Amino acid sequence: MKNRSWLKKNGWLILLIVGFLIAPFVISKFYITILCEAMVMSLFALSFNLLFGYMGQLSFGQAAFYGLGGYAVAMLMTKLQFNFWLSLVAGVGLASLVGLIVGYFCVRLRGIYFAVLTLAFGQLIFVIIFKWHDFTGGDDGIQGVFPPEYLKSIEAYYYLIFFVFALSTLVLWRLVNSPFGQTLKAMRENSERTEFLGIHIARYQLIAFVIAAAFAGLAGAIWVPFYRSVAPSYLTWIKSGEPVMAAILGGPNVFLGPVLGMFIMTFIHAYILGFTHFWPIIMGTIILIIIFVLPGGILGFAKEKLKEKRDIQNQEQVGRRSG
Amino acid sequence: MAEPILQTFNITKDFGKLRAVNQVNLDVKKGDIHAIIGPNGAGKSTFFNLITGYHKVTEGKVFYKGSEITPLPAYQRCQRGITRSFQITSIYPKLTVYESVLMGLLAHRRKTLTFFPSAKKFFKEEVWKILEDVGLANQANVLGESISHGDKKRLELAITLGTEPEILLLDEPTCGMSPEETESTMIFIRRLVNEKGLTILFTEHDMSVVFGIARRISVLHQGTLIADGTPEQVRNSEEVQRVYLGGVA
Repeated sequence: MKNRSWLKKNGWLILLIVGFLIAPFVISKFYITILCEAMVMSLFALSFNLLFGYMGQLSFGQAAFYGLGGYAVAMLMTKLQFNFWLSLVAGVGLASLVGLIVGYFCVRLRGIYFAVLTLAFGQLIFVIIFKWHDFTGGDDGIQGVFPPEYLKSIEAYYYLIFFVFALSTLVLWRLVNSPFGQTLKAMRENSERTEFLGIHIARYQLIAFVIAAAFAGLAGAIWVPFYRSVAPSYLTWIKSGEPVMAAILGGPNVFLGPVLGMFIMTFIHAYILGFTHFWPIIMGTIILIIIFVLPGGILGFAKEKLKEKRDIQNQEQVGRRSG
Repeated sequence: MAEPILQTFNITKDFGKLRAVNQVNLDVKKGDIHAIIGPNGAGKSTFFNLITGYHKVTEGKVFYKGSEITPLPAYQRCQRGITRSFQITSIYPKLTVYESVLMGLLAHRRKTLTFFPSAKKFFKEEVWKILEDVGLANQANVLGESISHGDKKRLELAITLGTEPEILLLDEPTCGMSPEETESTMIFIRRLVNEKGLTILFTEHDMSVVFGIARRISVLHQGTLIADGTPEQVRNSEEVQRVYLGGVA
């Protein structure tokens, strides 16, 4: 009985995992590539939403960490012939370290000031990489970043990305439901009340900031060897805006909201680019519609409807019992 | 006589040219129910803010259990056992009643840096005990924003109890409550003191509440302490009669 209700509740998840596992046998290479991009960008969006949806602070510089993860891998692998796996670890490490430094300043601020300072730091890091031609390749970026032989096929790398994405999602899921995640939500809801329960707000915000930077760095690090290159555009504020839109589209207050948002964005993007370059107009229109019609995002709206339905059912049951 | 748990020496707070609290010396004794009263703008809330670390003092010192806490930030004072409620009810709108109370316990018992186990597994018994004590158990899964005003006040009290305070500072604990809610809150506060040995320092507008439960009353007027004593002494003080109580008590 218990098993059956578990299956009923989590059946969609199992279906989804099976779907991802068999996808390379079913869909074309083009769409596998798009799936890879969607998963990597979803991980990026989840890292962003730890700050936005859970901690309640809008970061507009998250792409800096995504880009740093990617650059660390690209430079270590092409310039120093570093091991692929060690480079991934180094990419996460660099993003976390810079996250610690940037976060140290940002967590002192709230709201729009937090957003603007993350934007400023993000652009600062972008400019350093963009201008430092001798070291980073400047606007040429870095090409020829190849994964090891056994990961060179699209399918093999797809499974690596899926594994990293699934594991990271699980870790982040546990994190937001842990006492630490509860504390982030409490700070979002009422930082004054939380401080007066004995919580050092800035310290917790800094930890969350570093964790978010680490996962953004992981997303960038895993993407670059798949794409075989990295460019300064990975760190721009335009890139930082993508997880913001994904979160708003899918719903920042539902854990998987940003993932759904990113999948929709990535697939529509890939589809629309087939016949027009005016992609931003289409995306802008979609965001506009979402904000006015479904203010909690797609999953936020769905969750609310489900809850309403359940409440009505509960009331009917209570009514029947008392009647 | 019990020893003082909290002492202030000449604490003063200036906001620009305005002196909100002026050289107040006060002892709060352990296990007492101590009221701070005074007309609007007397400096009651500011005085609270100085003790809890919300504001920094301009001058003077605050001692808690014999050691100075004046330089400590708010969260450290709370970790040591000084917890407060706010005049304008301060709760978590989008957390459930249960999650809100759990937050106080997680914070106090230093579990907030636990990253992987589910928060729901922690302190179930303790949370339910507090919820039943304050009478919110039947609303455990309701969002903080959805409960009545009086219940929000009770929820804030419940959240603060999660931090297992030694001294609880309540800023207008019955403000906006119905007479029945006020009555039950008073009974509850008295019980906290008698059963758990808590010390209560509170401000209140409602004189029937003040004279109903306080064992000691201090009167602030324009930032200065003008009277301090038992309810009888304060009621009979001529100065208090003149500046504040008028014909009320």
